[in-house]
Formats: sequence, structure tokens, C-alpha cells
Amino acid sequence: MNGLYAYAITRALDADLSGRPGIEDAPLRLVELEGLGVVVSEVDLDEFGEDGLRRNLEDLRWLETVAVAHDRVARHLAEHGPTAPLRLATVFLGEDSLRARLAEWRDDAERALDRIDGRSEWSVKAYVDPATVAAAEPEEAPAGGGAGRAYLMRRRAATQQREAAAAEDARTADEVHEALASVAVAGRRLPPQDRQLTGHTGEMVLNGTYLVDDTEVDAFRATVDRLAATHPRVRVEADGPWPPYSFAGLETP
Amino acid sequence: MTDARVTQRPSYGPEKPVALVDLLDRLLGTGVVIAGDVVISLAGIDLVQIRLNALITSVRREMVGR
Repeated sequence: MNGLYAYAITRALDADLSGRPGIEDAPLRLVELEGLGVVVSEVDLDEFGEDGLRRNLEDLRWLETVAVAHDRVARHLAEHGPTAPLRLATVFLGEDSLRARLAEWRDDAERALDRIDGRSEWSVKAYVDPATVAAAEPEEAPAGGGAGRAYLMRRRAATQQREAAAAEDARTADEVHEALASVAVAGRRLPPQDRQLTGHTGEMVLNGTYLVDDTEVDAFRATVDRLAATHPRVRVEADGPWPPYSFAGLETP
Repeated sequence: MTDARVTQRPSYGPEKPVALVDLLDRLLGTGVVIAGDVVISLAGIDLVQIRLNALITSVRREMVGR
């Protein structure tokens, strides 16, 4: 038995479903209501129903396959009009229930599409250089006082230097985020990512994401470059455009 | 008069493969939520966030192989 995997909300007029299949190459379809549309494809409920999702969401390979397919559809749609992506694994049991939900959320969805129209999401991450993360040289202990006291003093000095560096990194991350959020339409901080998941070097001190007018991208990127230059201790990387995942929430005013 | 925002849409590519963690940051996080008659969407997301910690080891193994 099949369900409908829902990728995003768009304006029905903008939706171009050709040339891009959905999950497992199923064709995309539009479920419309009063000018709004939800882009869907059919999925097997053995895999995407309640039990199937419980099982499959723990399989990182499955999760990655679905996330990549979902993102490709969102990107394709975003090239043709404002697109509010849905969260992963939003699966409806039928078209009627989907249309009923769309009717309920119609006004908020219109507001979300207006909010993101002509805008894209940009990721900006800041990393502290690994060489500066290495433990600071401990101070020489003063003469006298014995080996034990000297050891403790070295430990305390090293700890204080590490704490001071961490505090400075946090301030730098705040500064970079505030500067970017003020030139963007909106900005938010996501949790820094675990190095074991990403394989990045150094410590991620900022995982920021910003809603940027498509006509202002050059200025935004220039701001990123300026921040990188004025904060030599950090590496700053921008990546985009993304469909506006983080700014299309129905609950946001 | 043509609205520049409407006619000049950027290319979303992506130019290079998208990092899984970046995808999960966004696909599991915010975005539009439609409640009701939706199969386990929200509960499933919470489950994934709890389980992700337990999967770090297997992901690391995968990443070494790339």
C-alpha cells in the first residue's frame, strides 16, 4: 500500500515537476489547493509507514539516500519559484488528508512563501585553526616550593590559557554571527557539528545559516570575506544557495 | 515591469555533494510542519536525533572509506 511522501510547498503555478524524479525515481506529483501545491511522490508504506520509518530512520545509509533525494527535489523546485521545504519523512496516507492539512495551513504557508520569495539560505561555518587549539605552553614554575606545587601551577596556567582561548573563540563566533545576521534578512545558529560526523579539522565554533536576498549574495559573500580577514584565528566557509529550510517554518511570524 | 526576484532565480546545483550532516541539520530541524494524518513524521524525527549519537561510530567507519 502506498503513501504520499511530501517534499515541499510551492505556488501551484511555479511548480515544474519535469526532469526530476523523487525517491526511488518515482514521478513527482502536485496536490493543489487554491493556488498552493504540495509536491509529492508515492512511497511504499512498508518502508515509509510508521513501523518502516522507525526501522529505517536508524539506518544512516537509508537516511542519507532519502535526505539527498528530498534535497534534490527541493533544489529543483527552488529554481522555479519560492519553495518551502517540509521536514524529512512527512508522509501522508492519502490525497484527501493532505488537502485537508493544506487547507488548514493555507494562510501560514502563503506567509512563509512570501517571506522566502527571492531569497535563499546560505550556510556559514567558522572553525578555529587546529594549530591554535593545541595545549598552550605551561609557564615555568617559580623557584622553590617543590615539584608538586610546580606541577599544579603549570596545570593551572595551561587550563587558564585554554579557557581564555575558548572564551575568545566564543566571542569571535558571536561577532561573526551578529555581523552576518545584520546584513542578511535573517540568521540563526545551528548546533556546531561533531567532527566525528564531518571529518573537519579544527573546532567548529559557528554553524550559522542565513536567509539572503538573491540580489544581495555578492554583498553577503564580501561580508564573509571581510570577517575572515579581520578574524585571522578562524577559518570561515560559506556554502549556498540552499533552499530555505531554516526560514520556511509555518510557526515563524 | 519585470520583478527581478521572479525572473532571476539562482541555480541550486548543488555544485558539489552535500554533506549529510548539513542535510540533517536542515531536514530534521525546522522547515514546514504539517501535523495530523502524517505518519510518524515528528516522532520519527525525535527518534533519529536520539539515535544519531549511537551511530557516530558507524558513520566514522563509512567516512574513512570515502
